[in-house]
Amino acid sequence: MNEEQKDIFFDLLTKKAIYGLDAGEQAQLDAMDPGNAELEFNSLERAAAAISMMVADDEPMPASLRSKIIADANAFVVEQNEQTVAWPPTTSEDDTGYAADREERSSGSWLGWLGWASAAVACIALALNLWFTRVQPGPEIVKTPPVETPRLLTTAELRDEMLKAATDTIKATWATGNVKGIAGIVGDIVWSDEKQAGYMTFKNLPANDPNAYTYQLWIMDENQGDATPIDGGTFDVNANGEVVIPINAKLKAKSPHLFAVTMEKPGGVVVSKREKIVALATVETKPKPAA
Amino acid sequence: MTEAILQRISDGDRNAIQDCLDKYGGLVWSIARKMLRNSDDAEDAVQEIFVDIWKNAGRFDESKASETTFIAMIARRRLIDRIRHSNRRISADSLDDVLLEPFTRADKAIQVSVEAGQAAEAMRSLRPEQQQVLRLSIVQGMSHQEISDATGMPLGTVKTHARRGLLHVRQTMGLGGSNVSMEAAI
Repeated sequence: MNEEQKDIFFDLLTKKAIYGLDAGEQAQLDAMDPGNAELEFNSLERAAAAISMMVADDEPMPASLRSKIIADANAFVVEQNEQTVAWPPTTSEDDTGYAADREERSSGSWLGWLGWASAAVACIALALNLWFTRVQPGPEIVKTPPVETPRLLTTAELRDEMLKAATDTIKATWATGNVKGIAGIVGDIVWSDEKQAGYMTFKNLPANDPNAYTYQLWIMDENQGDATPIDGGTFDVNANGEVVIPINAKLKAKSPHLFAVTMEKPGGVVVSKREKIVALATVETKPKPAA
Repeated sequence: MTEAILQRISDGDRNAIQDCLDKYGGLVWSIARKMLRNSDDAEDAVQEIFVDIWKNAGRFDESKASETTFIAMIARRRLIDRIRHSNRRISADSLDDVLLEPFTRADKAIQVSVEAGQAAEAMRSLRPEQQQVLRLSIVQGMSHQEISDATGMPLGTVKTHARRGLLHVRQTMGLGGSNVSMEAAI
């Protein structure tokens, strides 16, 4: 490989580590591969990953996203366990043998006969095996205990877990707002600056038609002031009774003192006119500072 | 020595999922937001990334890379795939903040992982143009052409800075690679 070819080779590897390659570029790389392209690529990819990590900031992911990921994780584990029960994996030797056998059967008549002959021998072997296993004591079958399937955590349970884990949780109680026809809202809101996460609990908040309007939370805190509260995310209520909803704050909130839920157009708004305030919650006590 | 979180996930330890999110959720979210520059896209991508992480947890081998690097690599692969399959174009207006953004503080990088600290050290030894190209391409997910348009560097120069810069970082971090690559990096 001359200098020019080396440059092209490493250009392709660098591009693969940073952007990925299309089929044509990958074919070009494969054609040039002196045998070490995979190793070279792996180390470049690790270097790129390390550079990505350098600029990671401290902003936690939104609480609602975290809830979705946990739900995905639980669903994935359940699915894995179901698949394990339904289709126990075969060994790679079994797979290889089966594939080769199929190929041979379709490759010619004499191979076909050979296949039949092999099958006949296999049948005889199977018959002998059955006979021997019937007359001889079999190996002890050890029953493995079923794998415990992680249960899907509900939003209410996630709220409880946050309350256990956070040391700076604040809590405020909902009061009904100014929307005609909505009355008797009860529930609370909990928030942790440390976790940048929180949950709202409501009773008597009417189910909404998402095509007509949505609910939106606003957080008044030290950072933003009351004139430009933090968007705490939109949410819909599709069932009456008690609902628990994760907060999806769009900015980092610091020491919130007031929370408000408004009715807004579908999708929510950037700035609320505050015409329809469904519920308000004032924080009356601050968390005790950690010792 | 504590067992790796990914190993615990692979073993079916339910608590490990929460631990994984506590430890790496912010990292993945941060990488995604910087590369995609759109919170909605980043949320979708992060969800996909964590599904990839659950699926690949059993493949983690701590003798090859740290858990943090393994997770960052999974994240980057998914994000690169999303960018390649989208029609994303970064507007010139949104570039000012990117171009002026200070790169990194070593103390912060070290907090994330040893490799991040090593990468920060390696980056400091690069020429400023090489640093800038690596930052815009790897961190911000900008294409060579977008970097050329934004910085005024010729396209070929951008590619050369990317190649030489990344080879140098790899070599300085002691991640292996051939001697050829070091020669090419100088």
